[in-house]
Amino acid sequence: MTRPSPWAQALALAVAGGVSLLFLFPYAWMLSSALRSTREILSAPLGLWPAKPSAEAFASIAEAGGTTLLRATLNSLGITAASTALAVCITALGAYALTRRPQALAFRLLRAGFLLSMMYPYMLLVIPVYLVMFKLGLLGGYTGIVLFLSLGPVQFFLFEQFFRTLPPEVIEAATVDGASEAQILFRIVLPMAAPVVATVATITFLLNWAQWFPVLVISATPDTYTLPVALLALNGELGTNFQGIMAMALITTVPPALVFLLAQRRVMGGLTDGAVKG
Amino acid sequence: MPGLAIRREGVFYLFALPFAALTILFGLWPILLSIQVSFTASATALQPHPQWVGLANYAAIFADPVFQASLARTLLYTVLAVAANLAFALAYALLLDSALIGWGRTVFKLAVFLPVVTPDVAGYVVWRWLYDQSFGAVNAALKLAGLPGFGGLASPGTAMLALLVAELWHHAGFYVLIFLANLAILDRAQTEASHIDGATTLQRFWYVTLPQLRPAIAVNLVYALIQFLKTFTAVVVMTKGGPADATNFVSFYAYQQFDSAQYGQATAMATVLFAIVLLVALSAYRVTERGRA
Repeated sequence: MTRPSPWAQALALAVAGGVSLLFLFPYAWMLSSALRSTREILSAPLGLWPAKPSAEAFASIAEAGGTTLLRATLNSLGITAASTALAVCITALGAYALTRRPQALAFRLLRAGFLLSMMYPYMLLVIPVYLVMFKLGLLGGYTGIVLFLSLGPVQFFLFEQFFRTLPPEVIEAATVDGASEAQILFRIVLPMAAPVVATVATITFLLNWAQWFPVLVISATPDTYTLPVALLALNGELGTNFQGIMAMALITTVPPALVFLLAQRRVMGGLTDGAVKG
Repeated sequence: MPGLAIRREGVFYLFALPFAALTILFGLWPILLSIQVSFTASATALQPHPQWVGLANYAAIFADPVFQASLARTLLYTVLAVAANLAFALAYALLLDSALIGWGRTVFKLAVFLPVVTPDVAGYVVWRWLYDQSFGAVNAALKLAGLPGFGGLASPGTAMLALLVAELWHHAGFYVLIFLANLAILDRAQTEASHIDGATTLQRFWYVTLPQLRPAIAVNLVYALIQFLKTFTAVVVMTKGGPADATNFVSFYAYQQFDSAQYGQATAMATVLFAIVLLVALSAYRVTERGRA
């Protein structure tokens, strides 16, 4: 193959670097805006380095969006953790049953129904989900929010794909040895599934941390708001606390960004697999 | 022992039970309720014995000029957004995959993927302010470069473009990733053969690379079509459908109808959008399946 010219290489680096900087600029701007005074921002909207960094914006959102910052943060952590744990358990069991008995009529119907419901524009499920939660007595509480967030297509596809690649000999050998189906699942299959469990857990954490609409709909008061919902409420309030909004956006952004950077291979690999083979 | 065999099969139904319960309670039941409400009069929709009105809600929304405009706008935006996202993602993935980039590939990939895992509300809130006429950086940058100002979200002529750019920032990294995964498994022998045959770069791309990218194009096309047909969060955070309805897409308009208690018409719109999403997804799937065979 011909060796690319240094000029072409330099140009390629410049383009890729430029695009990357453009994609990262909003983060730098969000951080600097949370730390700069109004006067400083208005005189130099492009400036990124705060002359006199101030944490005032963070203090100003101690109570914001109808709740307290502490409460919204704890809600985010609690709801995300609980729904992630539940999603992993429920989807793993479900996908396992559906892949082990793909011909069972009930399971074929369940799979089709699940895929169909994942296609529905879910922002338009607001009234019916509200009604269902009302009928189940789950409106305004954490249970309804957590349960609703425990179902997702990516999780299902990742587990289904993994269980489909299980070598049948392993299960046959265990059956011949007299193992029950529960023993096969918990003693043999799940230990093998540890990497995919970790991938699904990480991706579910990222997806559910970002969820806002179901949380808003199922909440009866701001007491159950998570960070994105409180941020949205703050952004919609009259009067502009620009630095406060940026500070809150920053707090909402940092946890998933850290998780992603620490587990980038797992996350990107998992999302690719879940999409391509699903 | 047949009893034991039945019990052995029964375990699978036990495993699937929680998954089935959630699918029915929070997936299928609300969808059926939604479709049911679309055939009832809004004022009685939430009562135990709603009044059935047949297709009256559907007739009403298709006679509503705001809905007609909203539907046309949604389709236009979807086409533009899908084209822009896939073109950008393909070009960027080809650049990162090329021999021209020696180092920094991981950083360049992470930079465009980070917005995908950034909560959409947070990302769009930042973009809303980036477009702001006095606080924002977009107009400050244009001014610095001596370019005319950009109306951003405030002007009906530019609001859709401003929304598209913010949504591209949030979504394109995912499409880049899918293209890169496909590029990583290309048949290098074909590329080298075309080199020996003296094909130009453009010929090589058109006749060798692009056909092999069909799976990634198919996946991205289906995902992007569904994604942008349902555009909602960006509108809620950045424009509320305005200015002058310039970004009033079907999902947002239907949501507004909910808010003003027009349940029948709102759910009729939801059903129409659902039908379009299903139709698009199924036909895209069939076209690509046929292409693969």
